[in-house]
Amino acid sequence: MTTADQARFQTLTDGLAKIAPAEHDVQDSPYTITNAQYDVLRHVLHDVGGQPALSVPYLEKGEEAWEMNTYVTCECLGWRGAWNSEMRRRAEVDLGETQYFGYPYYARWLTVAAKVMVDKGLIPLDELCDRIDQVRDRLQEERK
Amino acid sequence: MTPKFKVGDRVVVKDQTSLFHTRTQAFVRNQEGTVVEHRPDWVIPEDEAFDKLETGRKEPFYVVRFKQTDLWPRYTGFAVDTLETECAEGWLRPAGKNE
Repeated sequence: MTTADQARFQTLTDGLAKIAPAEHDVQDSPYTITNAQYDVLRHVLHDVGGQPALSVPYLEKGEEAWEMNTYVTCECLGWRGAWNSEMRRRAEVDLGETQYFGYPYYARWLTVAAKVMVDKGLIPLDELCDRIDQVRDRLQEERK
Repeated sequence: MTPKFKVGDRVVVKDQTSLFHTRTQAFVRNQEGTVVEHRPDWVIPEDEAFDKLETGRKEPFYVVRFKQTDLWPRYTGFAVDTLETECAEGWLRPAGKNE
């Protein structure tokens, strides 16, 4: 709209670009930060746009079995009342930028599906971690 | 619920503080657009995201259309290009009026 609004949004996205994966400002629990830096740190991630980005190459990629299994698992969790889509999006944002940008799309879903099950008391965290270790051991055995 | 805005109305997206979670993209804050479609009443994201799908507050939703050149200072596409996004009624105010 106004040049001032555009400039303000540009300041925000430029600030966000600094904490995106490519470049980093040193962040070591500083004693003080500027208001501008607080705006940047408080910025809420959004899954349909608004994050700073570099140009992305367009790659043909089909959906893999684990991705569709993740999708179905998340839908079942919704169907059984564990969460809804908006809670899933919030849980993804709650991961923080490092994990949000660092994981593949469906790995984000899978991670927060585990999170909601622990949060809701559907599985204790230690049991979940035990199961992950069991499955890893089994797969390593199978691949020998 | 009777929608406050009609299709064709000019609206501005509020620049309310966001914490923790939002469905209102940063790049549409304080931007003026046109209502192009009514969407069904639904639980507002601020409630739905916090496990209140059954008990949350409902509002009319709107599809709002913006000019891309308004949104992106470095936009290099055509001047007629537009972007549409959905907003809950509480996030919109009539264009031309201060909050």
